[in-house]
Formats: sequence, structure tokens, C-alpha cells
Amino acid sequence: MAVTAETIAPLATIEKSQGYWRSVWTRFLRDKVAVCAGLVAAGLVLMAIFTPWIAPADPLQGSMIKRLSPIGTEGYPLGADELGRDMLSRLIYGARLSLFMGVVPVLIAFAIGSTIGIAAGYLGGWVNTITMRVLDVLYAFPSVLLAIAISGALGAGILNGLLSLTVVFIPPIARVAESVTTSVRKLEYIEAAQASGASSLQIVRDHVLGNVLGPIFVYSTSLISVSMILAAGLSFLGLGVSPPNAEWGLMLNTLRNAIYVQPWLAALPGVMIFLTSISFNMLSDGLRSAMDVKQ
Amino acid sequence: MTPLPSQSDTPLVRVHDLSVRFAGTPPVHAVNNVSFDLAPGEVLGILGESGSGKSVTLKTLLRLLPERKTRITGTIEVDGQDVLSLQGRALADHRGGVASMIFQDPSLALDPVYTIGQQIAETVIRHEGASKTDAMARALEMLELVRIPSARRRLDNYPHEMSGGMRQRAMIALALACRPKLLLADEPTTALDATVQIQILLLLRDLQQELGMGVIFVTHDIGVAVEVSDRLAVMYAGSFVETGSVRDVIRDARHPYSKGLLAANLVGAVPGTRLDAVPGAPPALSALPEGCSFAPRCAHAEAACSASPIPVWTGGDGRWARCVQASRAEAMAGAGGRS
Amino acid sequence: MSAPILSAHNLVKHFNAGGFGAARKVVRAVDDVSFELAPGETLGVVGESGCGKSTTARLLVQLLTPDSGSVRFDGKVVGPELPLKAFRSKVQMVFQDSFASLNPRMTMIDAVAFGPMVHGASRGEATRKAQDLLDRVGLDPARFGGRYAHELSGGQRQRVNIARALAFDPQVIVLDEAVSALDKSVEAQVLNLLMDLRRERGLTYVFISHDLNVVRHISDRVMVMYLGEVAEIGPAESLYSAPRHPYTEALLAAMPSLDPDRRTLEAPLAGDPPNPIDPPPGCRFHTRCAHAFGPCSTQVPVSYKVGKSHVAACHLNTSKEQVA
Repeated sequence: MAVTAETIAPLATIEKSQGYWRSVWTRFLRDKVAVCAGLVAAGLVLMAIFTPWIAPADPLQGSMIKRLSPIGTEGYPLGADELGRDMLSRLIYGARLSLFMGVVPVLIAFAIGSTIGIAAGYLGGWVNTITMRVLDVLYAFPSVLLAIAISGALGAGILNGLLSLTVVFIPPIARVAESVTTSVRKLEYIEAAQASGASSLQIVRDHVLGNVLGPIFVYSTSLISVSMILAAGLSFLGLGVSPPNAEWGLMLNTLRNAIYVQPWLAALPGVMIFLTSISFNMLSDGLRSAMDVKQ
Repeated sequence: MTPLPSQSDTPLVRVHDLSVRFAGTPPVHAVNNVSFDLAPGEVLGILGESGSGKSVTLKTLLRLLPERKTRITGTIEVDGQDVLSLQGRALADHRGGVASMIFQDPSLALDPVYTIGQQIAETVIRHEGASKTDAMARALEMLELVRIPSARRRLDNYPHEMSGGMRQRAMIALALACRPKLLLADEPTTALDATVQIQILLLLRDLQQELGMGVIFVTHDIGVAVEVSDRLAVMYAGSFVETGSVRDVIRDARHPYSKGLLAANLVGAVPGTRLDAVPGAPPALSALPEGCSFAPRCAHAEAACSASPIPVWTGGDGRWARCVQASRAEAMAGAGGRS
Repeated sequence: MSAPILSAHNLVKHFNAGGFGAARKVVRAVDDVSFELAPGETLGVVGESGCGKSTTARLLVQLLTPDSGSVRFDGKVVGPELPLKAFRSKVQMVFQDSFASLNPRMTMIDAVAFGPMVHGASRGEATRKAQDLLDRVGLDPARFGGRYAHELSGGQRQRVNIARALAFDPQVIVLDEAVSALDKSVEAQVLNLLMDLRRERGLTYVFISHDLNVVRHISDRVMVMYLGEVAEIGPAESLYSAPRHPYTEALLAAMPSLDPDRRTLEAPLAGDPPNPIDPPPGCRFHTRCAHAFGPCSTQVPVSYKVGKSHVAACHLNTSKEQVA
């Protein structure tokens, strides 16, 4: 190269353009609905983390005389459940397990599913065909049925519930990962990278991951609400979390007999599930449109 | 603005001071003060690069732009009707009846779930209230007109069953089904292979003469424009910069941008030599420079080029160029001639 | 011709187009294509869609593996005699779609620096080289180096793609419709850049395009392809002035006239190019050829030497010497 180091701009002066994630953030902030959903979701997460400082009472401490107190009873702002435990505190504590059961299986499934999907998508050919057909078999079962079947076989308990939900979410995430990777693999910048002599691992690391993880992640976040609802369903059937733990699905189950006596009270855990799942869904919708790069 | 005089007294199309703005921050000035006339049976080629406003101009003539986001000023008259004030039924009659359009990609313009025959017949029924049998007969006639071989069999073909060139013919048949007086062509041959492109160009030229339509043909390809047009308008950054007969513009371009385009098309270039390329890129339509939009790329730009309005050189017979230099060169030549 | 720097020998590439057994459909994308490139020359490749020019390009840079046939660089067969990775740094490619050929998450500096880093340069060296090259292709590295693909215009992106190819210090660059998507005025700038770089660095180009004007301007020799085969190959000058294959003749006649007084009066060919899935027997062009006679529909024409390094595969040239 004839040009000497002096004639070119030193590295530090390169004008750094607004990075991709910065621009996603800017676009996200313009989306009012998504920002609101994000705030609600963040609030719920904070609530789950700081539970002991927020909850006014012990969620396990019952009182026979306060059983099924209506909303607004003194000392029980949201009433008391069928064992006289403070509803507000139980709902706040419930956020911990419910969010845990919503987020953790999806995160694990995201890690496993995207690895399988990206590998299948990038390698293509027979590897792809075999992997995807195997996943299709799992995918053919309705997710509720699959979760119940696995949980039923493994028995009740948080860990087993977690495992069954993870298995349920791997196939859909792997499918999305495979299709996103397949479409990226056909782009010419991948061909250009291949023509550079880079190894497959290098290409996946430097050119594929950055372009596929975003969309896969967004899809995965939309599964959080599904996971929460499934977990609640498992608890409701007595397969997931077991009493006396506070978990919204389980609370819905134990309060179902009270629906004729205190319908509003019985509906509260359902309201929480609804609020959480809708805020996570809208958040992922907002992320999806913010990540849509236009030329 | 200098409207183009036309051969006939009653032009088919009369566009005066047309400007199109798209809402946004900042707003996009897609078309700026465009005026021209088109005589019946005349072919005007609008030559320009991507983002020059040529397609927007064409779509405005059919009112195809999203109304809520677009602000159109100026006047457009087609066949004596004020296009910008048309509403409802009258607008529907205008589109496809008086004026119709053919596009670059026929696979997007044709409906994939109906046969070619059904689509043409449907148009005829809607515009002329013809019976189903008559409409189908017309569809057959149209396919024969655009020289589709074994036309009767092709009536029952779906668009995907046809080759690219055949689809383009079918789209032309559809556009001409109601015998429009004005045909708007938006790069109809750009996506085609060279040997097919020339077939479609010759077909359009023949049909235009046979049916006596006025045609506005938008393209980025000088060669294509020369093959089909009587007159040429060169468009840059939303404005017409030069117009005249094809012969005059090609042989004796006055605007530096037209000259640059000709050089870029390798007119008269010696193989292997550097081209006389115009530097830079067109300005953003949301931030047009004051005065001549081409000045920032022009080798002959001077102070007067960034002041509005830019003087217009006129050469008679509808020939003009909006350029400081071109108009001064003419004035000096005129002064020299008199002394 | 001096010893070829890059040569293709009987390249064949068929793609499966669905179906099994007897109903299996095969796209004969490239069928028995051979040619040679002298150091420093530019070979233009022209033809219509489905003629196999893009597949040939990908076979040449080894992005596709041929079903049979080989590519030689400097006399060495790529693969057995010359390791692929070493070949990669000698022969590079620029694609048509300037946007799709840049990773949307990479800055332009990183995109150009990626190649040298793959071949063992340190990040610092590679970045320095990328800056030099961006500067050379006319993009101020301080202004454009940190940008992403969507923040550049088409012409600027294609300059980056050229810089990226140059970062390997290649000897051959395959340009697959590299200027076709650009506006004419920008295309002229990029053509100038390509011609300057060719002179400065002694580059050899394979210039694929559907635009015969541009190909004539930049090429020393031109190869005309039809349905996966080479119809004619020869010096640009003689091929354009005296084509010896009816298809070349038709392609030239189909070019729009730039002279308003000499407009095209008749289309040289009717219909669309046939499908490469089931090409006609004999000479593949005989179904559209105005000169077709006896042997055309049954015998595949061999190559005839019709002039100095000018070869045409057409039965009309039987009086000429055959090329082995």
C-alpha cells in the first residue's frame, strides 16, 4: 500500500454512526403503546424482585375469621382468600413464581432452540431436513397437551413444570430460528463472506448471529405470556406449583369455589395473568416493529 | 414556467405548474412546478433516474397517490376534464376509461387468481356495461391486438402460466381494453430481457399509431426513450430541466445534466476510455438546494445558479432548457449575430 | 494469448428443479463451459436471464461446486493443487445487489476489514487497510467508515463492495451485474473507478452484464452465453462489428437505437428465451434462429475458429477450422 499512516485519518476520528440498537431504541420510544407495555412489564418485574419490601403482609399467614373478605376490607385492601390470607400480598408474591415460570422456560428454550435452528438453517441439506422433521413431530402436539403429558409423567413440582414448558417451546423457537437463518444465508453478504475464505463458524459468529438473534428473541418474548398461561394451567391442574405457594394459576384454582360468593375476588389472579401477558405481548410487538430495518 | 406548445390546438393532456409534496418531517418535494402539454396521438418520453419524480408525475395523472399523505397543487386536465377535482364514479371512469397505465412488473399488476380473459372482460363490463359474452369477445380481440400467439387458448391462462414477455403483452391488452385516449407507461420494459424488450417497444409503437393514443412513457433508459418517443422531457430532482423533440435533445442537449446522461449512456464514447461522468448523487427531495437543483453536481455552476428563478433558454418548437449557462450562451450568440 | 491467469474447463452445473425418478426436472444452468482469462484483460459476459452467466460467476469463484469440470488459477487446479483459502484471496467477486451484499449490522470499515482479518491480519492492520481502500474508492473513511449499509446510497455501497473485494489484494475480480442496479450517472462514476483500478493494480475482470453498451466499453473480449452454453467468444471489437453466431447478431440488433433517425424497425427474435429446464436438442438456439437448417435441430454445434481468438459455436461456420 503506497499510502502511509500519516495520510489517513487516525482511527479515533471515524465518525461513529448511530448504531443499530440505538436506532431501534429511538424507534421504540416513538411507539407509545409499546412504551406503556414496557413500563407495565418492568413494573411487574420490579414488583417480583422487591416483593418482601412491597407486600404489606405475610402471604402464608391465614386468618379463619377473615376468610373471603371482600375487596376493601380494613387491613385487606384486596380482600382475603379462602384461608383468610391477604390477597394483595399473595398477588404480589405470586408475581415471583408466575414470572419465573413465564420467563425461565422461554429463556432456556431460546438458548437451545436457536442453537438447533441456526445450525439447521445454516448447514441446510440433510441436516436441516432431519432436524426439522423431528421437531415437526413434537410440534404436531398441541402445546397444552404436550406440557400436561410431560408434567404428568414427571409428576408435580416447579422443576418438572419448568422442564415440560421448556420442551414445549423448543420446537417453535427452533422453527423460527431455522427460517430466519435460511433467509439470511441466501443473502449475498453471506456469499461474500464465504468468498473471503472464512470458516463456517466465523461466518455464523460474525455475519449470521447478529442478524438472526434479534428476530428470534422477539418471537421468544411473545411466548412468555403463553408460558405463563400454560404454567398457570399446570398449577390449576395440580401439576406445576403446589400449595401453599402463591402463584396466580394456583390461586385461580383454589379460589374457583368462591366464584359464587366473591366473584371479584376470585377474578383477581386472572386479571394479573391477563395484564402480564398482554403487556409482554405488546412489548414484543413493539420490539418487532422497532427492529424492522428499512433500506 | 414555459408550457410546451403542442402541434394541436386542443391538447389531450395539459399539466400546469404541478407540484406534489409528501407529508413528513421534513416534507418531500417529489414534483416541482412541472408544466407540459400532450397532443392527441403524441408520445412524450420522460427520462429520469430513480427519485427524479417521473413515476410520481405519472401516478398523479391517474390520481393513484395516497390522498391523505399527498398535497398536489397546480392543474391537470386530461381530455378537457379537471383530473384533480374528479370524485367517485367520475374518477373511476377516468382511470382505465380515459387514461390507463402499464407498469414495470406485470406479475404485480395482474391478479393471480383470475385468468387473463376474466380480467380483461371484467374491466370492459365495469367501464362499458357490456354483456359477459361481448366482454369476452373483446378480451379475445385485445389479446390478438397485442399479438399473443394462439390467443383463444391464452384467454384461459392465469398470469403465472405465461412467460415474462407474454404477461407484459397481457397487461397492455388489459390497459387498452377500453380504448383509452391516454396510455401511461411506467418503465414497462425495464424488467425484460433485451430481445423481449425490443418486441414490447415495437408493439407499443405500433399500437400507439394504430389506435392514435397519446402516450406518456417514463423510463431511465435513453435508448428506450428514443425508440418510442416523439418528444423528450428530462427530469431531475422533481423538475423538468430540458424538453424538445427527441432528435433535438439527443443531438444537441443544452442542459449539463442531459449531457451527462448522454455521456453515461456511452453515446460517442471510445471504448476503454474514462467516461465524462457527472460527479456526486441527486439531492434529497426533502432538502432541495435553492435555485438549480443540479448546481451542486454541475461542472459549470456559478453564483447565479443558486438563485431562483433560473432563466429558461427557449429554442422554438417546444424546445427549452432551464439553465443559466444555456440561456446566456444563446443571448451572447444572438448579440454576436446582430453586431 | 499469454499463459492464462484463470481458466474454466468444461464446467457443468445442473440444479434439481423438483420431481423424482423419471419426472425429475433438471435445470441445465451451465453445460460444458470453458474459457481462459489472460492476466490484465477484461472478459465481458453477456446473455439473457437463464443463460447461466451468474452461475458461471459463482462456479468461477468457487461459491458453487461444479458437477464436473474444473477451475484453474495460474495453471493449478483449484482444490487439489491450490488450496481454496489461498484461491479466495486471489479471486474476488462483487455482486449486483449492493445492499444485500453488505451485512446490515456491520460498519463499512468492519465490512472491508473482515477479509484481511480472515487471512490473518491484525485488527489494527486490517482497519488501516480498510481506511486506505475506502479512501481509494472515493469514500472519506472518517465520514463513511462508521456508517451502516442503509445509511449509504447505492453507488456508495457498491464502492464499499469494491473496496471489500480489493482488501484481499486479488488478481481477478468477478463483477456480476455490479453496476446494473445503479442510476446511469452513478454507473458511469463506478465504471471509471473500475477502469482506474484495473490500470493501477493490473487487475483482471470478468464483467457480467446484460447491458451490451457497457460491456463493449469496458471489455477486451466478450463471451456470449445462451441457455447454459457459450455461443460465441471473441475480441469485443470483432464480435460487435462482425458477430458470427446468429444469437449474438440478434442481441446486438435488439439494443435500442440511440439515433432517432435510425430506430429499430423489426424485433430480431420472437418470444421469450426458452426455459433452461428442458433445453432444445441440437443447437439450443435453433428454435428461435432465423438461419436454422438441417443439422441444427439434431447436432450440437462444435466451436469453430472464425477469427483471431474468435470462436463461435454455430453450424453456419462449418467451413472454418474446428476448435478442440
